[in-house]
Amino acid sequence: MAGKKQALLSALILAGMCVLPLGLGIYPQHVLIVSLFYVMMASSWNLLAGYTGQVSFGHAAMAGIGAYASGILTAKAGINPWIGIGIGTILAALVGLGLGALCLKMGGIYLSLTTLAFSQILHIIIVNEYDLTRGTMGLQVPALMAEYDKLSYYYIMLAAAVLILAILHRMIHSNLGLNFRAVQNDELAAKSVGVKVLYVRVLAFTVASAVAGFAGGLYGHYLLLITPEIPSLDLQFYVLAMTVIGGMGSFIGPIIGAFALNILAEKIRDYGEYHVLVFGLIALVVARFAPNGLLGLWKRFKPIKPIQGVKQKAVPSP
Amino acid sequence: MLAISIMNGLVIGVIYALAALGVSLVVGIMNVVNFAHGELYILAGYFSYLFASALGVNFLAAMLIAIALVFLLGILIEYTLIRPTYGNDMYSLILTFILSIVLQNAYLLIFGPYPNKPPLWVKGATDVFGLFLYGNQRLAALLAGAAVIAIVFFVVKKTWFGRIIRATSQDREMAELNGVDTTRLNMLSFGLGCALAAAAGVILTPVFPVTPTAGVPVALTAFVVVVLGGMGSMWGCVVGGLMLGLVENLGAAFISTGYKNVFGFIILILVLLIRPAGLFGRAKA
Repeated sequence: MAGKKQALLSALILAGMCVLPLGLGIYPQHVLIVSLFYVMMASSWNLLAGYTGQVSFGHAAMAGIGAYASGILTAKAGINPWIGIGIGTILAALVGLGLGALCLKMGGIYLSLTTLAFSQILHIIIVNEYDLTRGTMGLQVPALMAEYDKLSYYYIMLAAAVLILAILHRMIHSNLGLNFRAVQNDELAAKSVGVKVLYVRVLAFTVASAVAGFAGGLYGHYLLLITPEIPSLDLQFYVLAMTVIGGMGSFIGPIIGAFALNILAEKIRDYGEYHVLVFGLIALVVARFAPNGLLGLWKRFKPIKPIQGVKQKAVPSP
Repeated sequence: MLAISIMNGLVIGVIYALAALGVSLVVGIMNVVNFAHGELYILAGYFSYLFASALGVNFLAAMLIAIALVFLLGILIEYTLIRPTYGNDMYSLILTFILSIVLQNAYLLIFGPYPNKPPLWVKGATDVFGLFLYGNQRLAALLAGAAVIAIVFFVVKKTWFGRIIRATSQDREMAELNGVDTTRLNMLSFGLGCALAAAAGVILTPVFPVTPTAGVPVALTAFVVVVLGGMGSMWGCVVGGLMLGLVENLGAAFISTGYKNVFGFIILILVLLIRPAGLFGRAKA
């Protein structure tokens, strides 16, 4: 029954999201579009950190790979943007596969260190390869449609986000998702019951990287100007803060976090560039005192429900 | 050109080794990577700049105060942020990463984006083996860095406290059974790790000025050195640090300056491919 209720609620929210931008001006529409990009980023980062327990600091870099691969192909070679985004997604997945296979056999800390180094290196390469990327000036890329229109972009982003969320949801609530959780909770125990730990981890990292590449590619073709700001540690921090504050390891947490923080950032910007500092302090407090995020706090004051997708046996009362 | 690059590589290599020792000490004992290492390195630079340049304290005293303050801050960080995450390595990674972003932005707010520089210890330049003239400050930094590394080695290898450190990083439970208060040791060693970052900071900042984000490349290189040398290995830090310093400077001189920091990453990938446990690392299951 809970599943039906949930499906109804999701449908209602989706319908709401469809009519939401109609009465809004261009600026709120822009904020919503960017929020949807962050929804995809935070949800896929959550697949890594929240469900398999591996912290990647290269998620923004993967978005950068998607954005720049598609941007360079469309701007320099005249390829259709949709094909460009597809190639960017595949490229990000391949890089994720390579990095994952390289360092995950050595354990989680290696992944964090290597992805952090990788994101810095990618930044340096993009800034230095001026001929190809136009460095810090930014690369101008073509739009997704002939007539630039915020509302169309909104629906494209919404469709993409819903698609990604549906894939992630399915994955998390499948057998594979249970493997993810098993690896996170106790690697040794998971291994002993036949979970291929390395395979599961690399798979999660590859999928998350592909999603980031896809989101980055779309985002680039929305912004029309790709700068090294996409594969930066600042953006990586946003994604991390959204997930941590919203609720790591829950499906809805990062979605709420992405919208809340992105809208809050716009409000704080009115007073100056303090939003990173503010988010940092909030994230620090949340990660320290409420490791399950705001969603976890909210759930604490609600009666405990069984985890969706996992059938729980009724406990006979004594 | 070659000789100067080697010399520059040695100077920065010693600093890398020092910064990496701090990371390695904490990884060895607590299995925690402090991603705010570079920001603490920078903080020491700011402190020594504040005390020496703004308040007119003697530069040596300013350096010592800076290191002591960062040591205390490290203890505070361990007590408030790291201790509750014991048993969950992932949260310590996330917390220290957030901390590093917070500190960077706080520096930007307090000190602005401009480079600040503590005063030089010595002026002038010395003729090195009749090959080239080299700034005395850099030579002094090389000697000071080497001296601090020697002290760290002495403490860890020869003293009773060092024995506790080695015992705990080899086998935490056994050390506990033999009466080591590992909670207190964690706090102390985290503070010491930060103090080593601070030492690297006060030694190098008269040469390379501090900006809010100047710690990022140093910390990243320190992480690469720790992986290259082998997690928890002290000799690995020294050899790896010098190697990275040399490779970076020779690469910058003969291949490309823009890609100075990329060479370290290439080495990291090669290490992970060929010998993932690092040069001096114990192979782990």
